[in-house]
Amino acid sequence: MFSSVKQALESLGEAVLFFIKVTSLALRGKADLNNVFDQIWKVFLESLPTTMLAGFFVGAIMTVQFSLQIEAFGAMGYLGGLATSATFREVGPLLIAFLLSGKIGAFTAAELGTMKVTEQIDAIRCLGSDPLVEVIVPRFIGIIIASLFLLVFGLCLSVTGGLLMANVFANINAAEYFRHIPSIVSGYSIVSGLFKCLVFSFVIAGICTYLGYFTTGGARGVGLAVIQTAVLSMVSIVITDWMSSFIFDSILRSAGIL
Amino acid sequence: MLEFRNVVKKFGERTILNDLSFKTKKGEILFILGTSGTGKSVLLKLIVGLLNVTSGEIWLDSEKISNFTEEELFSVRKKCGMVFQHPALFDSLTVFENVSYGIRPHLSGLSKSEINQRVIESLEVVDLGEDLLNKKASKLSYGVQKRVSLARTLALKPEVLLFDEPTTGLDPVTTQSVNKLILNSSRKYQSTSLVVSHDMDSALTVADRILVLSKGEIVELATPSEIRESKVPLVKEFLSEVLDREEAESV
Repeated sequence: MFSSVKQALESLGEAVLFFIKVTSLALRGKADLNNVFDQIWKVFLESLPTTMLAGFFVGAIMTVQFSLQIEAFGAMGYLGGLATSATFREVGPLLIAFLLSGKIGAFTAAELGTMKVTEQIDAIRCLGSDPLVEVIVPRFIGIIIASLFLLVFGLCLSVTGGLLMANVFANINAAEYFRHIPSIVSGYSIVSGLFKCLVFSFVIAGICTYLGYFTTGGARGVGLAVIQTAVLSMVSIVITDWMSSFIFDSILRSAGIL
Repeated sequence: MLEFRNVVKKFGERTILNDLSFKTKKGEILFILGTSGTGKSVLLKLIVGLLNVTSGEIWLDSEKISNFTEEELFSVRKKCGMVFQHPALFDSLTVFENVSYGIRPHLSGLSKSEINQRVIESLEVVDLGEDLLNKKASKLSYGVQKRVSLARTLALKPEVLLFDEPTTGLDPVTTQSVNKLILNSSRKYQSTSLVVSHDMDSALTVADRILVLSKGEIVELATPSEIRESKVPLVKEFLSEVLDREEAESV
């Protein structure tokens, strides 16, 4: 029991140090820009179709659920505003981030893990380069930027999904759907959603690069890194979701905005 | 040239290398044989700083290199080129990009034309032509990948070549050609070579000296002809298959 707690704390310490080192290298502009753009492009293109699909259906689901609830109160005119607000602030970033953690996170952990167990990472060191600079930092920045764009893109598509479902399911036209969005979806909702998207991007990028880079034990180790990435990312996303809501609300309250 | 002084390497409580001391001669090919898990690959990784020694010292050209920092290891890694057990090529890069990886302008100070020439020269040593330059590493056969991997290390023009099980997983014909490559590259660049292997046949053919490890300790260090006369049980075991085959061939 004591030894496993000690081991968990050591891993946490190692992860924090890794995260600080990679962030510091990224901020100091150590990575090759071409490599970074390659990664952004690769991650974005590979995950765009799934994100579009997820975003669309998140919006659709929210609309269906809200319409079931508010129909009894005769407040269907507010459907667009309520569904969009809830999707932007909470459900959209959360569900799309879950999907991205499985898609981008697991893929990157598998890619880095394979590089580690087939000695490519060691080869980079032996050829006089730093694998953190050559391999990790470009992926780290690439995943953060691409995930952020994908999350925002997914949120925008959720509005389309919501609109279509409102039209089909509740017979509400576009003008009706959009009417109360400006009054219900406040700037706070949008900024809060974007802030969460940024936090989730960091979580996905940090966890998959760390677990991939420290993979040991051949093919089994790679499989383990992929599973750990998927599980840990999802748990961390839920925890950081609560934390970011709490911190964001506290900041706004202390500033007198809320 | 390269010297181990009482080197000990432990992973936790487990001792992998125990009080290892030996010295290489300039330009020699030293084969390191031993059963699996006896610390052969660990020995190579200690030289290039992929692992740190627990105690003892490693010296390269009258400089103590054990426990160097990552920055200090840069010069060691320029001198000691390592060829890994896996080809360890970067799949998404071409053969040219792979071979020139360690001599890119910001690392070597070489011009583009010098890099081109060095890449072609290195590929020639491993019997590969310019037609492969633009092929992706992932499209190559395993044997060719091994050659490209050796070319990538040779492009650094290292003083010491470290081979980690270069013939593992290869058929007898490719094994023979890899042995020839080790011999050619060592002689061409007059580099000292340390070859970790299980293959006594290759060792007797290529090596100047053979070091046999058992449970992290040296049980024999001798020339191939002396090894044939060795009374050490583990060496005899390694030799038995080779001697049986030679006897069958003579019959």
